Amino acid sequence: MKKHWIAAAFVACLLLTGCGAAEHTEDETTGSAVQANTEQPVSKEIFAMDTYMTITAYGENGQKAVDAAQQEIERLDALLSTGSADSEISALNASGTAQLSSDSAELVSCALEINESTGGAFDITVYPLMQAWGFTDESYRVPSDSELTTLMETIGSDQLDWDADNRTLTLGDGQAIDLGGIAKGYTSGRIMELFDECGVESGMVSLGGNVHVHGAKPDGSKWRIGIQDPENSEDIAGVLEVTDCAVITSGGYERYFEQDGTTYHHIIDPSTGKPADNGLTSVTIVSADGTLADGLSTALFVMGVDQATEYWRQHADEFDAVMITEDGTIFVTEGIADVFSSDRTFETIARK
Amino acid sequence: MKLKKQDTFFICGLLAGSLLFGSALALGRTDGETVVVRVSGEMVAEFSQNRDTVYRIEGVNGEINVLTIQDGEVWLEDANCPDQLCVHQGHIRHAGESIICLPHEVVIAIEGNTEVRSTLDIVAS
Repeated sequence: MKKHWIAAAFVACLLLTGCGAAEHTEDETTGSAVQANTEQPVSKEIFAMDTYMTITAYGENGQKAVDAAQQEIERLDALLSTGSADSEISALNASGTAQLSSDSAELVSCALEINESTGGAFDITVYPLMQAWGFTDESYRVPSDSELTTLMETIGSDQLDWDADNRTLTLGDGQAIDLGGIAKGYTSGRIMELFDECGVESGMVSLGGNVHVHGAKPDGSKWRIGIQDPENSEDIAGVLEVTDCAVITSGGYERYFEQDGTTYHHIIDPSTGKPADNGLTSVTIVSADGTLADGLSTALFVMGVDQATEYWRQHADEFDAVMITEDGTIFVTEGIADVFSSDRTFETIARK
Repeated sequence: MKLKKQDTFFICGLLAGSLLFGSALALGRTDGETVVVRVSGEMVAEFSQNRDTVYRIEGVNGEINVLTIQDGEVWLEDANCPDQLCVHQGHIRHAGESIICLPHEVVIAIEGNTEVRSTLDIVAS
């Protein structure tokens, strides 16, 4: 009988110490940094496109893929940035007409398609409005109504003259464009192609919170992507479990300023010239197409939940969405309802 | 069924030992997560979250952010960046949280055992 006691004591010791040890190992792995072997991911932080980016790739070609991704980010940033006077887009805005590189041309084509399909809710010609509100250089101010009325005459992609065959874009009088609303989604899509070319089967990027995942995790499970709670940056509104797609969120909380007790955020409604005010606090788009996801996250935010729901029903094969309204209600489209989870209740939008 | 005196000592000793060892591990884990400072993606310093510290971070081009750690709270007290977003972001204290100063390419991250976020691969924001 006394042997049982001793055996029980041993088991107790093993359980107590074993448990602590296991958790400790977990600590060490979550704090892991750059290591180039097949089990550890290769990760890199990059500051580009006015934001903070992380790139992660698994497998023996991880380092090569991450390096290629960094080069691609820097190349596209130099091409597209409105903040740099030497970029192709700055040159276009200065001269009013330009023949574009294939990357810029593809972005312009995508932008015009999204503009048309969303009835103008996404528009690359809002750049002069972004400048007037100070969102381009953090010189925040509230433009007067008369200033906005004058500026609104220059807003609208219908004033652009796009010659797709010759990749030549001509702006209307007083117009300027910014491809920033889809540039990060396009870039993350390009990185997924580079991961493929490098033979990386598992990888992930976050370009300033715009997430794009490649394949599944190395153990074959789905990526778990949190969606930030728009009301509290420390909280998560829900979790998506997905593979091979972009998950891109737009929300008023990302960039804003306050004046005289009113908050003005950076998502400008092209139809009013003012921050979109249609009851949404964030829109997350899930799509295999990063460029589309990026553009639609803005467009659906501008539309508001009712119009966005109608739009999704017409394009349900192209994307899915998670929308959060000012009263905290979460709407999830049917296509991702079974891979979305949340502590809160949420409403599923059916295809009808 | 009757235990000899030395058996009782032996068992108590084992239990006490394992409890001590287990609690040492547990204490080691909660004895402050690690506050990591990175500039342009390179780690330049790390501190225990539980040790009060003031540290002057040299960001890109020698620009300055002042990191303060006090009573487990971590924040940027001062910075000479134009937007001051990093200073206005306020305090962080949970593993998985970070403060980023884009102009200076500075990232302050609390690394260690996280709760909700530990099960996540990334957050879309």
